[in-house]
Order: sequence, then structure tokens, then C-alpha cells
Amino acid sequence: MTNTDTLLEKFIEKAKDVQTICIKTDKEAFKNILKEKNFAFVSLNTPFKSFNKECEFDESGIKDAIVNADFAIAETGTLVVDSTEEKIRLATTLAENLSLVIYASNMVAKLENIVSYMNDKNSADNAYIAFITGASRTADIERVLTIGVHGPVSLTCYIIEDL
Amino acid sequence: MKIKQEVKKKLNDKVLYTNLKNFASNYKVSRQNALTGLDFFKLRNDIYKSKDFSKEEIIALFEEFKQHVEKSGCTVLHAEDALTANKLITEICKKHNAEYIVKSKSMTSEEIKLNHYLEKQGLKPIETDLGEWILQIAGEHPSHMVMPAIHKTRQQVAKIFEKHTGEKINPDDIDKMVKIARKYLREYYFKAAVGITGANVAVASSGTIGIVTNEGNARLSSTVPPVHIVLVGYEKLVKNFSDAMKIIRLLPKSATGQNISTYVTWIKGSNPSFKSDTGNKHTYYIFLDNGRLSFFEHPFLKDALKCIRCGSCANVCPAYEMVGGHVFGDIYIGAIGLILTSMLHDEKKAKEILSLCIGCKACSFNCPAGIDLQSIISDLNVYMGKKYSVNPVKKFIYSAVMKNPAVFKTAMKTASFLQKPMLDETKENIKNIPYIPKEHNFRKLPSIKTKTFSELFTEKKFGEFKSSKKVFFYPGCAVEYFFPDMGVSMVEVLQKTGYQVDIPKAQVCCGLPAIHAGDGESGKKTILKNIKHMGNPDDYEAFLVLCPSCGMAIKEDFKKYTLDYIAEFKKSEKIGKKVMSFANFLKINNIRFQNEDDKKYTYHTPCHQGRGLGFVPEEFLKETFGENFIPLKDSDVCCGFGGSFSVDYPGISAGILDKKIENIINTKADCLLTDCPGCVMQIDGGLKQKGVNVKVKHLSEVLSNLKIQKK
Ligand code: SF4
Ligand code: SF4
Repeated sequence: MTNTDTLLEKFIEKAKDVQTICIKTDKEAFKNILKEKNFAFVSLNTPFKSFNKECEFDESGIKDAIVNADFAIAETGTLVVDSTEEKIRLATTLAENLSLVIYASNMVAKLENIVSYMNDKNSADNAYIAFITGASRTADIERVLTIGVHGPVSLTCYIIEDL
Repeated sequence: MKIKQEVKKKLNDKVLYTNLKNFASNYKVSRQNALTGLDFFKLRNDIYKSKDFSKEEIIALFEEFKQHVEKSGCTVLHAEDALTANKLITEICKKHNAEYIVKSKSMTSEEIKLNHYLEKQGLKPIETDLGEWILQIAGEHPSHMVMPAIHKTRQQVAKIFEKHTGEKINPDDIDKMVKIARKYLREYYFKAAVGITGANVAVASSGTIGIVTNEGNARLSSTVPPVHIVLVGYEKLVKNFSDAMKIIRLLPKSATGQNISTYVTWIKGSNPSFKSDTGNKHTYYIFLDNGRLSFFEHPFLKDALKCIRCGSCANVCPAYEMVGGHVFGDIYIGAIGLILTSMLHDEKKAKEILSLCIGCKACSFNCPAGIDLQSIISDLNVYMGKKYSVNPVKKFIYSAVMKNPAVFKTAMKTASFLQKPMLDETKENIKNIPYIPKEHNFRKLPSIKTKTFSELFTEKKFGEFKSSKKVFFYPGCAVEYFFPDMGVSMVEVLQKTGYQVDIPKAQVCCGLPAIHAGDGESGKKTILKNIKHMGNPDDYEAFLVLCPSCGMAIKEDFKKYTLDYIAEFKKSEKIGKKVMSFANFLKINNIRFQNEDDKKYTYHTPCHQGRGLGFVPEEFLKETFGENFIPLKDSDVCCGFGGSFSVDYPGISAGILDKKIENIINTKADCLLTDCPGCVMQIDGGLKQKGVNVKVKHLSEVLSNLKIQKK
């Protein structure tokens, strides 16, 4: 197994621990998924830009949203999302079901591997970077784990195998 | 004394008892899982070092942070105290015409009692963290820093929600309750003109804050409203992202046993905002001093500023587990709560709650920032003792009796005579003590023996055994007066393996009881006297103890209290390096035993054995007893003894002991072994009082009956 494969396995294992749904796919199949799912909000980079779609944001929230993640961190099953753009911030916090897209080549092993990315992004005057690990959750009532408090009630991660 | 009444009330709270007990045992398992494969002690040492700043350095970091965010049009303010912070926040809210304000969880805002202040100014702050919201609408305050409503049951929460929302709520449908909170709070994010958050870290190198949450409320609070106020203590500043990541890695693992929190949100500067008149957020940072800055200069309180607020010093604290955070702490909770109350809040209140620490060191070993909380608490006790005076009876005992070998011996002799009518048929225990309150009756106390260990040592001519291999044995008060047989057993084993054993010329207390009670002066005098009676460290292979608390005092406190005495300090340093428990010595010297009976044995790890002397004989016991050794669940959790603690707080002590006994019964062992006379006193007394048929023995007593195999 190559190093990337091991990272990918590890990431999926850790992501599953926090009920993230991981789906491996490739570029073509993913385009079909986008067509089929018809997300309420789409903000993706090329080659999926043509699917991008905006929506209204208010307190009733939105059904679902899909955006790019820049990195995935294997040790924790975490996805790194640049949410500096306001609509991405709103979509990722207000969507009932959130989907994130990551390229298999953007897997890193540890939190420390994100440091140079963070330095880079935070050299701008303003930035809003989110580490997302699973759907929103609470254990505030009798320590019973309950998914979906203020944020999304589910998190799906599409992994595009580009290697 | 008010605190004793509060303790009593909490001890009767069955909900609290069950919630905290379940939490403590689940927590330990998930934390352990989260830490698998990681070198916890190295990681926490990295955090400790990365947060070790002088006052000048922290101010320099602040300036660096400020410069970065001011560039993007944010406002950075310094608040000298709570009132200033509250006023600044109110002004900002009024300037932006806020009526509603959404807040995500922030202990710093609890510290300055922000909600209370804002409400008085006619503003409406809404807590959005579920636990905090439950408490806000119930009119209560948090009892845990990470799980604020841990003291509440689902039934109680359902009632609170019913009253607030007017909806009928099924207490067993927690999912539904969470959905109600979601729906109810959602509209406020949109109604609010201001969102207030705290920060778990503030990265100086870029001016970025990091917020750790699970619910997603901090993301909404910092995204939807057009104004964002960040309230943050100076101690949250770190140099750069590398240091910040270290904290992010360990914080959730320690806090809740999660590998990482669901959201770690990094925010820098003024981000776009559709609700803002300028198109960009109005972002304000309030850096709170409130006494912190001066403590960066303090010799031992400085470490408390390294706290990353994981709350876990409460999670592992056996005393917290009995009474909860409304008693064990004030605004901040757990061991760090005892300390921060002294530093930032009411010193008198702090003096009271500091007495709730049993000294088990579990917090110190667990802290992800590497803070030796127990040692700070002990130093604070001494400080408080100096300032507010120690209980006069205790003071008399520590200064006039225990420090003085002759007086102490006479007192104990007299007591051993006076106790005679109170002894049971075995003469080992005291049957009943007249006139003592019922709550002290949770264990049978051992009798004071008619012959002290030192007398037996002479009588048995132990001193005549000479050898080139020498060890020094410090018996301590418990072995000297209550359990001389433990000492005799050990000397016999050692002599059989060819060791000469020397003991102090006169028996002086180790000083720990005085120090723990806050009488530092007596502690110091006792220690100085003690050192005089100790042998020359160069002559001995080891300094042995049968009481690990004495051992820990010798190792740590002897040095600490002789800083002004060069010769004594030097001697302490040398002895400290050689002090160890009996089992540790046996292990190092490859002395093994063969057990032939088929009884089942289990082992309780004394607090100061594992966490003080740093040696746990589990492996040694497995070798000796093989299959017949049965590990004890939560073996290293305190038994509730804590010396005079068990007399001051018998209810807490008994409650902790009950849990220990439950675990012992579950092993089905015939005999519980341990390494500390105090633990023997507590556990044996408790088992006897309950009529549980399990023998309790010091390791030395059992080993002296076994065949020795020198490898
Ligand atoms: S003192 Fe240590 S254990 Fe306690 S809350 Fe702070 S970081 Fe956590
Ligand atoms: S030393 Fe033990 S009793 Fe004292 S605060 Fe720490 S954990 Fe609690």
C-alpha cells in the first residue's frame, strides 16, 4: 500500500468514528452524483464549477449544501474548509445535511501538517478556516450523545480518487 | 462553617451522585482510548513549555496580535478588570443598537458575570450552548467547565424546557429536546445584532483566534450577526500555529475523551458580513487582565495561567465527584477552580474550598498543560494558613506535639493507655469512640499499639545485624505507632536477603500533615529536625518507606522547605534521589518471592505511590501471585483517607471509600494488598465496619511469609 492509501484508510476509519459518511468516487461519477442529488447550495472548484448554485439564507436554514475541503487530516478524521467567503460560512453552518469534497491527494497525516497552510491563509487581512469533524453534536443532557444541535445533522465526505 | 453544610447537602443529592459517578468512569475509558499511541507526558510537556511566558513576553504577544488584526480594521481593547470589560462590551452593544446578543460558551464571561451585567443594562444576552442555555433559563450557573449542566437529569431538563417553551416534553426523548433547542435558538442568531464568543487560543503570529466547539453554536454566533466581540484572557495567547495545534490535539482528548472536537474554528480579522452596514464584520477583541498579568510574575501561581480549560482536573478528582462543581470551585471548577478562585476572585471563599482537596494528585497527573495542581493547592494552603491562621487545635498538634519526638511519643503512649476500654476483642481496632458524631463512624479505627516500631526494633536486636549492603528505613508515624508489624516484616525480609537496616535515632513526623493543613512553619521545623535524625545518604543504597506519603514528602517537600538551609538542602537532595517504596527496592534488586497458597489477591495503588514515588508494583505482583492476582478497577483512585481530611470531611471520605469497597468486592479477592498504612487504616476500617470478609495487608506483611528467590 502506498503512503497515500494508508492515510486514506486511516482518515476513513477516524471519520467513521464520528459518523461521517465517506464515499469514494472519481471525477466522472461525482458529476453524476451532483446531477442526481441536486443540492440546494453548491460551491465547488473546477471541474465542477458548472454545478455551482446559490440560495437564500435565513433562519429556516437550507436543506443541503456541498463545498470543497482543502485538506483532510488523517489522525482525527478532520476536513479543513476555507470559509472566508460568507456564503460558504453560512451554507456550512445552516445546512441540515452538509457534504464536503476532498481529493485523495490532499490527505495529510497530522494536525501539524496544516500549519503552513494556516500561515498562508492567515497572512491575509482576514480569514475564516474551519476544521470540521463530523456533524454537530452535544452531550449536554445526561451525557447522551445527540447529533445535530445548531449545525448540520449529517456530514458526508466525497473522496475523489485522483491518484 | 458554611461549606460543611453545603457539602452535606450535595452528599445527599442522589442525582448528582449518580451522574458524576457514571461520568467519571466513562470519562476515564474514553480518555484512555483517545490517548492510545500518544506520548501524553511528552505532549503535555510541550504545551507547558510553549505557554511558559513572562509578563513582558505575554504583553509582546498581545502587541503582535493586536497589530495584525488592527490592519483589517478590528478594534483591540484591554480590560483591566471585570467591570471595565463589562462596560466595554455594553458600550459596543449599545453603539450597534443591539437588543439581543447571542453568546457561545465562555468561562471568561462567567468570570466577569457578563450576562448579569448586560441584563441590568436592559440588554438580552442569549446563551446558545445547550448546557449553558438550560442553566440560563433555569437561573443557575455551571457545575462543570465543559459540561455545565452535568448535575441535571433529563427529567429536570424536560421540566425546565416545558416551563420555558410551553410545549409538553417527554423526558425520555432527549433527541426531541435537542431539536427544540435548535429550533428555539435558531431565530436568535438572526435577531441578534451582536455575537459574543471566547477563544481557546489566540495566535499572536497572525492575529487568529481558535474556538473549539461541538455544537456549532460558536460558528453561528460568529457568522450571522454583523458584530463579533471576542472576550479573551491574556493567557490564551500562543506564539504560532504549531503551538496552537498542540493544544488542539490534547484539549478535546482531555476534556471529553474525544479525539478532536467537531469544530475548530479559526477566525482572523473582519470577515465579510451581509448584515453589516459596511459589508464587513465589526470585530472587537477584549483582552481581560482581571489580575492575570501580575501573576505571570508569580513564582508558583504563574503555572495556573497555562491552563487550557479542558475541565478534566474535575473529571478525575474524587472529591469533586462527591460534591460537584457548585461546591468544589466557584466560577472555575475542579482543582484549577480552587486555584483561580484564590487568584481572581474571593480569597476567603478560596480558603474554604481549598480544604476540599484531599491531596491525591490525580489532577496533577492528568492535566494536559502539565500543571502540578496539587502542589499549587498545597502552597496556597500554606499561604492561607499564614494569613488567616490554622485551626488552633491542629496548630497545637503540629507545632508542639508532632514536631517534638519526645512529646509526641508520650502523647501516643498516654493515648494507647487511655484507649484500652475502647478496644475490640482482637485489640487491633477500636470498638467505638464515645461522643463522636455518627458520620465519623464509617470505618473502624486501628488501635495505637503498646509497643512502637522503634521499641520492637531494639527488642528484636535488629540493630545488631551488620552488613556492607545498607539501607535506611524511615518508618513514619503510622508504622511507628499504629502498624509496627509492617516495619518488622520488612526488616525481616531485608535481613534475610543480607541487608543491614538502620532507622532514625528518634521518630519525627515527615511534616506532610502540617503542610497539608496549611501550617508551613511547623512543617518546616519538623522537616529540619527530621533531616538531623536521618542517616548519611552516602552510606545507603536506598532510603525506604512503607508510607508513600512520607516518601513523597521526603522527595519533594524536604527540598522545598530547606531552601534557606544549605547543608540540609544538600542532604535532602541526596536522600530525595534515593527514597523509594519497599516493592520498588525489591524489584530493582531482583528479589522475588514464591507464593504457594491459592488465595486470590488484588492491589490498591496508594495515591502517593504511583503519582508521588512513581512506581506501581503491578508487574511484580503478577510475577509473585500469577493467576491469583486480580487487578482492581480504578486501583489508582484515592481511597478517601487523606490524613486529617477524613476527619474534616467524613462524608466525602466515606463516599469515596464506598466506591473503593464496591470495586474490591467485585474482584472476589480474599486479600487486598496495598503499600500505605493510611490506605490500610481506611480500607480495612471500612471493610470491617461493613462486615466484608476481605483481609487488608501491607505488601511487606504478606511478603515476609513467602519464600524468597534471589535472582
Ligand atoms: S488545570 Fe489542567 S486539567 Fe484543569 S482545566 Fe486547566 S488544563 Fe485542564
Ligand atoms: S489533589 Fe486530588 S483531591 Fe485535590 S484537587 Fe487534585 S484530584 Fe482533587
